[in-house]
Amino acid sequence: MKSNSPQLRRYSAWSLLRARFAGDGYWSRLWTGRSLQPAYDVVVVGAGGHGLATAFHLARDHGIKRIAVLEKRLVGYGNVGRNTTIVRSNYLLPENHYFYEDSLRRWETLSKDLNYNVMYSPRGVVDLALTEDSLPALARRGNAMRLAGIDAELLDLPALERFVPELEARRSRRFPIVGALLQRRGGTVRHDAVAWGYARGASALGVDIIENCEVTGVRTTGRSVTGVETSRGLVRAERIVFATAGHTGLIGSMLGIRLPIETHLLQAMVSEPIKPLINSVIVYVAPGHGETYILQSDRGGLVMGGHLDGFPSYTREGHWHRLEDVVQGALELFPRVGGVKILRHWAGTNDMTMDGSPIMDRLGYDNVFVNAGWCYGGFKAIPASGAAFAQFVATGTAPDLIKAYRLSRFATGHLLDEPGQGPFPVRL
Amino acid sequence: MSCLVCPFCGPRELREFEFHKTLPEANSGSAYQRTYERAAQLDSSLEHWQHVQGCRGWLRVHRNPSTGEILEVRLLGGKAK
Repeated sequence: MKSNSPQLRRYSAWSLLRARFAGDGYWSRLWTGRSLQPAYDVVVVGAGGHGLATAFHLARDHGIKRIAVLEKRLVGYGNVGRNTTIVRSNYLLPENHYFYEDSLRRWETLSKDLNYNVMYSPRGVVDLALTEDSLPALARRGNAMRLAGIDAELLDLPALERFVPELEARRSRRFPIVGALLQRRGGTVRHDAVAWGYARGASALGVDIIENCEVTGVRTTGRSVTGVETSRGLVRAERIVFATAGHTGLIGSMLGIRLPIETHLLQAMVSEPIKPLINSVIVYVAPGHGETYILQSDRGGLVMGGHLDGFPSYTREGHWHRLEDVVQGALELFPRVGGVKILRHWAGTNDMTMDGSPIMDRLGYDNVFVNAGWCYGGFKAIPASGAAFAQFVATGTAPDLIKAYRLSRFATGHLLDEPGQGPFPVRL
Repeated sequence: MSCLVCPFCGPRELREFEFHKTLPEANSGSAYQRTYERAAQLDSSLEHWQHVQGCRGWLRVHRNPSTGEILEVRLLGGKAK
């Protein structure tokens, strides 16, 4: 990464050694607090994963000089810091698995690309089958992935026991485990490091990252937007990118456009740290349950999440019925963790689209771009989304990878309805 | 927000209810608009719910999605309570 900022230190064994002898003050801030300018080539609204990655690629790959990322609160305050860090590309539909595979390949090299350790851990994502008829469905998904050159393995019980011994797959259960689909290259990435790494990279390329600056409206002339009104005054912009996960429906309202999006809550929780127990990401969907997925963080905490709370909300407060459901699933999987205490619990707001797939398109005006609708799967999409969306914004033409994510697909019937549930964001 | 007051059954835990969809202000627009588009407002949401684990009645719920406050619940085709 070429650096415009003299303060930025590249991380290397050599710089660690120099810091050891240079004393305090050797390391600088990850991104600089530059002041807000009155006009930019591109204004990105939202300093989350997608916004920062888009800004980074606009600056690095397309040579755009004057870029600002405006953030209502702080870098990484939203979903990039609230997700459960899982990355995978185990999707059924071609449009989805090619896109997420592109993302997974980028995760594999992201620490080097950003010169910032995002702690990609390919520990394997295991989708459990609990009924005989869910196994063929997983096999179908795995076969679709393999046809696209993506790794997927269908595990029978002995193979599952070898891969996740602590699961005791053949133990008697209310819902016996019959098999699983494994993606070995799936795993986890440290989410905060992704926000910080992209912010650091973008800042070094001259991007202004402005925190505590809320966008409250837009100025328009005819078919284009000339600038955004913010809590710090008017900012003029040639192009505007909205990457405001969880609040895109409200952005639509601001522009007078109704979107096929509802905002729902997704909860997650983490337990007190315990000794290493679970070596992969386990996804468990039992009949009559919502869903539980569980993994163990590098610090030892059991990270758990599940399904949406089930109705629109901006509160960022999870509801009890879902928390109980997630914990029940975790206890059915690993009864021995029953005495472990929950340490933290939180929720994030999700843009749920009417087919479960994202929207990456222009929005209402020629120079307004929206990167939204990531439902509960936006984190793993960040590297591919940033690169592809930057190309779209810079050239005005959507790359093939994201063409299917156009907004008009709902009107033309070209939906990407991965679970096949119809025009609803949530079916429990 | 941890319970809803069903006009038929009284206050019941949230888990007994199932959210169906948010409603447009008026039953107008094209089939596409009615099927896919959703009104997004920070402080007001009009929704269809069903009391699936109770009377199975269909409810029209008016809520504030920023605070979770329930503003009104009425049985579809019935009176508000």
